[in-house]
This record gives sequence, C-alpha cells and structure tokens, in this order.
Amino acid sequence: MAIISFDIRDLRIQGVPQEKVLEAILGLGIEIEEKTSKELKLNITPNRPDLLDFTGLVRAIENFAGKRVPRENFYRIKNKPELTISVTEEVYTIRPYIAGMVVKNADLSGNMLKYLINFTDKFADTYGRRRKKLAIGIHSLNAIKGNITYTASGEGSFKPLNSTRPMSFSDIINGHDKGAAYRDTIPKNESGRTLYPYIADSEKTLALIPIINSDATKLSPKTRDLFIDITGTSKTTIRNAAALLACSFMYAGAGVYPVIVSYPMSKETTPALSYDEIKVSLKVADETLGIEAGRHNVITLANRMGYVASKYGSSVLFYVPPYRVDVLNDQDAIEDIAVAFGYDRIVPMPVKGIAEGLASEQYELEDGLASFMVGLGYSEAVNSMLTNEKLNFDSVMKKYEEESYVSVADAKTSSITMLRTSLLPGLLQNLAGSRAEKLPQRLFEIGRVFSLSKGKIKESVKLLVVSEHAKANFAEMRSVADSLLKYMGISYKVKPGESSANIEGRTASIVVGDEIMGRIGEVHPQVLENFGLEEPVVSLSLTLVKEVKY
Amino acid sequence: MHEYENKLLAFLKDNGASSIEEMEAKLGIGNDAILWAIENLSKQGAIAVKRDAESGVWLTDEGKEDLEEFPEERLVKKLERSGNKWSVSEINDSIGLSWCKKNRWINIEGNMAVLTGEGLAVAKGSRQYAARMLLGRLNRAKAGEVTQIVSQNKDLVGTLSKRGLIGFRERSVVKSVSITKTGSDMLSSSPHDSGIGALTKEIIKSGEWKNKQFKRYDVNAPFEEVLPGRTHLLREFINFVRMVWLEMGFVEVSGPIIDSAFWNFDALFSPQDHPTREMQDTFFLSNPKQLTIDDLGVLERVRRMHTNAWKEEWSKELAQSAVLRTHTTSVSAHYMNKLAGAVNANYPLRFFSIGPVFRNENLDYKHLAEMRMCDGIIIGDDLTLSNLVYTLKSFYSRIGLDVKFRPSYFPFTEPSLEVFYYDKEHGDSIELAGSGMIRKEITKAMGINKKVLAWGLGLDRLLLSSKVCGLDSITVLYKNNVGWLRSRPNIKV
Repeated sequence: MAIISFDIRDLRIQGVPQEKVLEAILGLGIEIEEKTSKELKLNITPNRPDLLDFTGLVRAIENFAGKRVPRENFYRIKNKPELTISVTEEVYTIRPYIAGMVVKNADLSGNMLKYLINFTDKFADTYGRRRKKLAIGIHSLNAIKGNITYTASGEGSFKPLNSTRPMSFSDIINGHDKGAAYRDTIPKNESGRTLYPYIADSEKTLALIPIINSDATKLSPKTRDLFIDITGTSKTTIRNAAALLACSFMYAGAGVYPVIVSYPMSKETTPALSYDEIKVSLKVADETLGIEAGRHNVITLANRMGYVASKYGSSVLFYVPPYRVDVLNDQDAIEDIAVAFGYDRIVPMPVKGIAEGLASEQYELEDGLASFMVGLGYSEAVNSMLTNEKLNFDSVMKKYEEESYVSVADAKTSSITMLRTSLLPGLLQNLAGSRAEKLPQRLFEIGRVFSLSKGKIKESVKLLVVSEHAKANFAEMRSVADSLLKYMGISYKVKPGESSANIEGRTASIVVGDEIMGRIGEVHPQVLENFGLEEPVVSLSLTLVKEVKY
Repeated sequence: MHEYENKLLAFLKDNGASSIEEMEAKLGIGNDAILWAIENLSKQGAIAVKRDAESGVWLTDEGKEDLEEFPEERLVKKLERSGNKWSVSEINDSIGLSWCKKNRWINIEGNMAVLTGEGLAVAKGSRQYAARMLLGRLNRAKAGEVTQIVSQNKDLVGTLSKRGLIGFRERSVVKSVSITKTGSDMLSSSPHDSGIGALTKEIIKSGEWKNKQFKRYDVNAPFEEVLPGRTHLLREFINFVRMVWLEMGFVEVSGPIIDSAFWNFDALFSPQDHPTREMQDTFFLSNPKQLTIDDLGVLERVRRMHTNAWKEEWSKELAQSAVLRTHTTSVSAHYMNKLAGAVNANYPLRFFSIGPVFRNENLDYKHLAEMRMCDGIIIGDDLTLSNLVYTLKSFYSRIGLDVKFRPSYFPFTEPSLEVFYYDKEHGDSIELAGSGMIRKEITKAMGINKKVLAWGLGLDRLLLSSKVCGLDSITVLYKNNVGWLRSRPNIKV
C-alpha cells in the first residue's frame, strides 16, 4: 500500500461536482486515509501504480464520472524519435536496461512538478525496490546537447542537483545524503570493482544512476520540455513505468516523442505503447458476478473504467490502455465491470446445495479440556508463541542448544527472537503481572509449542496448569492431574522425575505406557525469584499431542 | 442474635479478652465477619472493645492506577519498542522521564534518551521494579502487617508517599475484645433451643425441624468473595465464530503455523519481487531457514504460473523460505491442493479455519505481532460474487454487524471485495475482511478446475466493536492479568 497526498484544490475537476469526485474515488476502491480542508491523503493498492500519479488519478475520476470517454487509439505515439541513447558494454553487465522519452509542452506549474517527483520517487521506492530494480530521472530538455550515452565507469564527477560545486562519484556515494541513502544500489562488476552507472550527453554527465541528477538539467515549474530516463534491472518494470508516464503526459495534453535505445546487440524504440485486447464473454461475466451483465450496458461500464470496448458477438472486446499494467486477462476486466456497476448493487444469493458442518476433533478436545479446567476453578490464559531465550530458557533455568528450537530472523521488536518451547514461562509471567490480584491465583493454558530435531520442526500441543497461593504444594497439583487424566480416560503412573524449573525431590513424571507425558512439580524458589513471585507456585504440564500433523 | 454474634460471645466467655487474630484463627469466621459482629455487639453493650492507634496506609487513586505499571515503566517499554531510544523532545511524559533518569534507566545523549542495560531489563520484564512491588504489597497487606512493611522499607515508602501514590493515616484498630455483663446475660438468655442454626443431617433425619423454628439470618451479613475460573475471551469468541460457520455448513480445518513462503505467498500468486509481499510484514525464520516442498508437481505448476504472468525469474529458494504464516489463507491454498484428486467430492465444498497469524511489526496499543485470523473458502462450479456477498452478509449479521462491500486488491483474488461496516459511534468505516474469487491461475496451479470463493478476517479487532464485545484495547488479550481474566467482558452477541 502506498499513501499519496494531493491538494484538494487540484482535485476540483471542471464539469465534475466535488461530491462526484469523492464518489468516484470511493467507487474505484481507493481508500481515503485522511481528508482535511486542504489535503486528501489516499491509500493506493499495489496493483494500480497509475493512480499514484496525479494525472492518472484525474483520468480515473473523469472516466468513472463519465466526463471523458476513452478514445480509440488515443495512446499511440505518432511523433518521430528525437534522441538516441547508446548503451555501452560496461553498464550492460551491471544495470542493463534503459528506456527514455522526450516530452514537449508539459505543464509543471503549480503543484504539478511536486506531484511528478512524488510519483517517480514513490514508484522507484516500491516497484523499483528502492531504485535497485528501477529508477526514474527527469531532466530539462533544453540543457541537453546531442545524443545520450548510458555507461559506467570507476570514477567521474559533476555538479549534483542543488549543489554548489562539482563532486566525484565516490564523494557523492560517501558524502551526499542521496548517495548514502541509495549506496547499496551501486553494483560491482564481475571482477569486484565498483562501477558507477551514469548518463551523459555529448558534453557532460547528466546523472549518476540511480542516485542523483546533474544540477545542469534542473527542472522548474516553468520547464515545458523534458527528457526522461528510466533505468534498471527488470525490463518489464521499466516498460511499465515508461508506459505509465507517457500515457499521463499524453492525457494531460503534452507531446511525447520516442527515443531510440541502442544496446550492444540490439535496438528498440521507447516508450512502447500497446493496447492488449481482451475478449470478455458476457456469459462468463454473468457466471462470475451473478449480476446478469448482459442486461446492462457493459460497453459503458468498460468506458467508465478507462477501457475502449466494442461488442463482439456474445462477448465484449476490451482494449486495455497501456497504463493499466495490472490487467492480465478477462478476470481483471470482469472485476472492473463489477467496480463500475457498483458492489453495493450486487444482489446477495445463497449458495445452492446442502452442506453439513463438521468441527475439528482437535479443537473439540481442547475445548472440552478447557471447560474441565474451568470447572476446577482455573482461568484460561492465552500467551503469544513469540518469545526470547531469556524468558523461554534462562528464567526457568533451562539449558539449551541453538539447534533445538525455532528462531526468528530480524524481528522489529527486539524481545522476539524465537518460538516458545514451553508454556511455563508465559504463565509465570502472567502471575508476576498479577501481583495486585487476590490469591489463590490459578491459571491454565492450552497451546502450541515448537522444537527442532535434526532440522525438522516439531509442533506439539501442551496443557500447562499453575497454582499460586500460600499453601500451594505438590499434593494439590497431584489431585488436579489425577482428575484431569481420569476425565481424559488415560491410565497413567507417577514416578519421581526432575525438571530444572522445579524443586528436586518434589517433581514427578506422569508416565503413560513407556512414555513421559507430563510433569507435576513445585516451582523452584530461584525461578520464583526470577519472576519476582512471592508465594509458592506448583505446576502441571501435560503433552496433549506429541506431534501435530497436517 | 446472629450466629456469628453468638459464636463470638461464647468464645469470649470461654477465653477471656482476645484479639481479632485469635478469634479469626479459632472461630473459622472471616475477618470481615468478625469486625461486623464486633460492631453490632459493641453497639448493644455486649462487649468491651480496647482500641489502639496504628498507622495505616492507603493507596490513592493514582496509586491504584499505577499498580499495573508505573509511568517510568511505560516509558522504558516504549523506548524499547522504538529501538531503545527516543528523542527527548518527543517524550511528553515528564514524570516518567524524570524517574527514568533517577533510576538510571536511561542516559541522555544529545537530544536522545537512550536505554541503559538496567532500563532494558525493566522494559523486557526480566527485572521487577521494587517501587511497584512495594505498592502491590501495601495494597494487599492486612492491617497488622502494614507497620512492619513500612518500617522495613522506609525510603521507598517515603518516595511513594511523595509521589502521591500512598497516603498515611492514624487509625484506631481493635486491640482486644472482652465480654461484658450485658454480653454474658445475652448469651445465657439466648435460648439455645429456640431455633435451628445450621441445618444438619441429624436435624433432617430426626424430623426435629418439624417442631422448631429456624433462626433468621441477617441477609446483609458479610460474605466471602468467590474467585471464578473462566475461559479466555478469545476462546469464547472463537467458539462463537466456529458455531456460526458450523451452522452455515462449513467444515473446520487447520494448517501449519510455520510454513514456506511458497504456501503463504507464491501459491497465492503474490509476485516474488513486488510491493504486494510487503502488504504484510513477514517473520522469516533464521533456523530453519528453508522448508523443502516435496510435491514437485505443484512446485512446477506454481513456477509456471509466476513466469507466465510476471515475465520475471522465479526463485525456488525464495519460495522455500520458512516463514510464520501471515494469514490463514495459506490453509486455504493447502486445501485447494489437497482436493486436486478428489473426484467424488460433493461440491460445493465449504471449509473454514481459525488460528494464529504473525506480523513483524513494532508493537504498540494497536499492533500485535500475533493475532487470530479466520479464513473460509467455498469450492464449486456455479459460484458467483452474489454467493460470496450472501455468505459474508449472513455471517456478519449473525455477529450483529450490517456489512457493506467495496472494491479492493489482493494478489490472489479477482474480483476482490473488502468487507466493512460503518461505525456510527465514531463516524468511521472499519475494515473487517478481505474477500473475492480466487484467481483461476491459482486454481489451475492447485490442480482444481473449480471456482473458489474466499475470505479472511481478523478476529482480535472484532472484539473492539461495541456490538461484539466493546474491548478497549487488543493488547489486554495477551497480558492475562488474573484480575482481568476473572472479570473480563463477555461476548455480547
């Protein structure tokens, strides 16, 4: 999701009343994050980068409101190429692709320049993976002399945007804030040498790619003619970005001129704008949406979503404009029919056929146990499965090996490093957080714990019971264990056992068949001290499912 | 005379002057009840009460608020969540800040408040805060214990008092009680056989009760509080949600909590190198790093789905990264794949699953790293968006919410619908669920030639709705404070 802001005055669209503008925004499924008297903050879903752009948003509103009907072949570039970009071998091995275009008579007045920069920055940060996969540079065309070269070298220098003096490439990377921000995009070539990609005209360096432009080609709100470069590692993303920008400028009334890109082995003309043709069967649309699409004017609905459309037998042909990079096939077109039709007009219809509900046996078993424990006066706790070594092991004096548990990488919260292997620390922490509450405090939890054995994850279901009060002792929990196991219909034996968290000699193993299935024990005073607990605690743990299989 | 009064007088007659503690220990009557009986009897002149002055301590309202957490503890936790430091000018809690400094929990470096080791230990809950523990002890202490606690913790008690968390007062306490002449008379004139006290087996069997009256009880006499055991609010709510789906004919299923990115993302058409994956912050595992996909058929079909659609390379290694599932939609993917060979199944089939999901986020009052989510799917031939709208409207109406739908985007559905309801109280529309028809690219890769309606909804947040439960904050759900567990709110619907 990307958030983008527009001045509310800029969204006063001639011929579309303000309430219709908001209606269109909501109708298109754009979430309004915040609306003040000055500003509209919109949340744009990742499938519609065209709406991050001001012109793209206006276009979508105008189409949806029926103010401008999309015209056939509107996005065809008829102008002749203006420039050539030569791509050298050096750059082709590290950041191979580039697209370019020349725009004449663009309007960058008012907020338009700001919107354009916001759009390109946002696009390069998200779809461009922080400029690694793609970055966009915009230059004043008048400052460019001759043709363009896209190349790379070990060093170079120029005066970066808004700088007072020239800087070397390496100084920019180390000393300039843009350089520091995008340093990691600068690749090394096969021999491990740092190579700086850049573009130059016949006289000078125009930009260190993808870091910063030259001050020489700086834009102002008065600039009307532009050269745009789009560079990166993904040809598809670059093509999409070029299409998006070209369509925007064309919609706004500017002239777009192609650029010839000359690679070491091939040549192409950018931007390449084409309409995909998608055949939407009205029957399929009906069967998907349940709205009897055939009875509505699908062509008008298509127009409102920006498509040119025409009837074709029992189908409708959708011509997908080049900026709609998210439309893959008829499913996407059918969704747009529904969006234009209005989701609130879809009539709810029950699914045909008889169905029999069936509860999960495991859940029912756990639920029965929970009711039983409540009957014994225990309250249920639910703790997070995310924990850390200190709480999970150290606090209960348990020794551990790194290979024995599931660990989590790079948590944003530093107290999360692993998945719990035991329910005991969580419940003791709950008691510690409840010191102001009346005793006796009796808690249980039924939950999942995880361990690793030979690299394989083992997920188990456990029950843990604790009781804290002045007279809490082994005998109390022994009685609970007995009544619980009788309820579960399990015959068991009790043998002396041990656990790091318990007092030696006051711990018992619950043995079922030949296996230890649980443990009863008085919690060791050192553990109580670790948690700041002041009264005795006795605990019971029981394995309900040794290994969960899916 | 009430039974308690009677017992007390009899005790005093036999034992002479006694303290409350002695009576409590030997009579088997609670402290409150004894005090109540003393008050009644002394009004009637039946006993003589010797009093003594004792310094008492009581918690102020502020003190009661801080029982759970002191401002300085709140502040260090906040610092810990924001990477162990925070700009001083942004901290608007001056009390918390000054105590953090005094306790050496933070150092001020330039304009930044930086946690010390001590502060970090407190933030993580591995070290207890002595001031708050003392406040808790004072809160629970019985009259006789206060003096000792105060004398053992003079400095800290002084601090608590200066902070206005506790107050002192001299109060008169009962030192000893003895029976008077009036009392003795009352006791002897009290006709022992004039009424039945506690009903016993003997009285019932002998029929003695037929000829006698029952002593009258004072219904306002003090009583002991019973501490209940209760299921967790999440269980109560999840059981309710389960019941609704089961009634609507759905089969309950479950799937792995730790899964591969393959089932969490790739099988659901989320491109590998695309912002859609960042819609959900993911916990990746450092051990194990990879989970192997054994089903080579589905692996190949998913690979083809990606390369055809996105025209970019698809990495098997990335797909095999181990993650904590970010949604239970992964369970739906597993089930679509499981059904691939089920020729004789009785379509349409309906499944739901409920379980924990994880988001790698900075924790605060609104964001938890672990939540409960519910996913559902209907698989069949003649399914439309109308059916989806009906199903979800029906579900939500049973939990008391009138929902609406708007367009949205999820990588795995087309068309996609977001379910929301308009909260009139706050004038706000609240997102409840994502839903849609599973893309045919996915059903094809999973090997089923059917339509699939799907949805996923977060359960925790629903508890905030005043119609469902009216919970103030979802963080309270996982704190498990015993007092809260005993007196927690109920599910309303």
